[in-house]
Amino acid sequence: MNELRSTIYELLEKAEEAYGPRDAIRYKVKRAGENGKRETAVEARTYTQLKNDSGNFGQALLDLGQQGKHIAVLGATSYSWITAYFGIVGSGSVAVPLDANLPAEELCELLDRADVTALVFDETKAETARRAREQCPKLAYCIAMEEGSDVPGALFFWKLVEEAGRKAAASQEILRPRPEDLATIMFTSGTTGKSKGVMLTHQNLAENATALDMGYEPGTVLMSVLPIHHAYCLSMDILKGLSVGAVICINDSLLRVAKNIKLFEPDMILMVPLMVETLAKKLEDASLIPAPILKAKVFGRQFHTICSGGAYLNPAYIDLFKRFGITILQGYGMTECAPVISTNCKSASRPGSIGRPMPNCQVQIVEEEIWVKGSSVMQGYYKMPEETAEALEDGWLKTGDLGYIDQDGFLFLTGRKKNLIITKNGENVSPEEIENKLSKERLVAEVLVRDTDGVLEAEIFPDLEYAAKKRIKDVPAALQKLIDQYNEGAPLYKRIYGLKVREVEFEKNTTRKIKRF
Amino acid sequence: MFEELVEIIVNYVEVRKEDIKPESRFMEDLGFTSFDFMSMLGEVEDTLDVEIDQEKAANIRTVQEAADYLAELSR
Repeated sequence: MNELRSTIYELLEKAEEAYGPRDAIRYKVKRAGENGKRETAVEARTYTQLKNDSGNFGQALLDLGQQGKHIAVLGATSYSWITAYFGIVGSGSVAVPLDANLPAEELCELLDRADVTALVFDETKAETARRAREQCPKLAYCIAMEEGSDVPGALFFWKLVEEAGRKAAASQEILRPRPEDLATIMFTSGTTGKSKGVMLTHQNLAENATALDMGYEPGTVLMSVLPIHHAYCLSMDILKGLSVGAVICINDSLLRVAKNIKLFEPDMILMVPLMVETLAKKLEDASLIPAPILKAKVFGRQFHTICSGGAYLNPAYIDLFKRFGITILQGYGMTECAPVISTNCKSASRPGSIGRPMPNCQVQIVEEEIWVKGSSVMQGYYKMPEETAEALEDGWLKTGDLGYIDQDGFLFLTGRKKNLIITKNGENVSPEEIENKLSKERLVAEVLVRDTDGVLEAEIFPDLEYAAKKRIKDVPAALQKLIDQYNEGAPLYKRIYGLKVREVEFEKNTTRKIKRF
Repeated sequence: MFEELVEIIVNYVEVRKEDIKPESRFMEDLGFTSFDFMSMLGEVEDTLDVEIDQEKAANIRTVQEAADYLAELSR
């Protein structure tokens, strides 16, 4: 069942009407067992609970004077995170989901740049919240997802929900969002090195999640393994999942994907290609075991579908998984399109392609570049008019990706126009951003960062005069040390794992910029 | 702890046991991807009955560092 929804509030409201008492979210909890040892158990919340809890949080935000304001959510995927998100956008405020892996300093900069006035955080990010209180003057409230936070002045999320629930009837009416209202600002790395806040409306997100009937049955069990601040996860796991009555199971850690598959017994999982490759290796290594038995052991008998997006997937994996009775549906998108632009689905798929454009998207090819128009295209980058003008032309989003459409309407990617590096796990890395950081070191005269065989590599032309002056004998070792220092403060996907030292300076173009290729 | 880890590592990447040194780096020297590495630690959690912190895990580079961290956890 699939009907078009034009606001996120409407999406949840209709889902609750249809699936009220069914499980919406399942997650793991640790509790003391009979013998005093901590045991793992699965808890669930229904569609009705999610709608009520998020509605109450929306009411609480109204009581705090936060309606229409920008509210950040920071932490790993959890029932609280999802409740906060729906509470924020359902009550006419703007949610700003942030990457929990970023260093505190960068997060504070984003909070400030996005004009965030309230921050909902989980306990792993308490340090960031503490810092944000001191550094972000616009931030009025910090709201902790767990009880007893020692962040000064922090409110407790579930207490706010409960109190608002008790007096809900007496409070003022919440203004319900309209399709054209801004719902979410999502940060994405750009080629300029500075991340950009993509402005997405209710219609952008809700229609992206509901425009295409992927043939999911109500009660389909999904396991959500990707970071929830990514548009792909938020839209395709959470919004789409709820709109079709799915049960969303929360994978608590990338360490435990295999274990959690056994625990939750999902029917399908949304993945990035890196995960598909790792699982493929597992299947290949045990090729002596008959396919149905191996499949049941790794994924469970019920498992049938993987959706892959975020980066390029070698089509050979699609065939490999097919032998195990698992369908891989490859899709394509970007945050700027909320995010899905095209996808293969059961009723229409073609190996090697990224599927047909979504029903709510028009695609045209302009000088090989893919341009997209439709109800999912963003409003622009928050407070970045120049970058917005570069990305949008007459309502067309210039993706920066190169490709073509075949005679049956399937889209194929051929390359990237921009320098942006898309790592195998779908993270976007702007080489310029890392280059800028490394070239702050005196020993580094010139540097280029690129993707070499799947890992980030830095090629550096050292400042040999400086090295001589400082009596640095082993220049490569000194450069490696600088890279190690950089890596320590960088998220995993931005780390440099290869170093090439140049003896001559880089070739330059007429504007004295280093020639990248 | 080092020997136990080596036994597990060879199930994930194609290296000979004798080529795994304490100073071997998981990604650069042994050919792990970040997801392989996380999956392996998940298996270690079961084998050793410990709970690994994902953020701490992300800062582990060498086999020795992993062995030290695990030894500390299982104490």
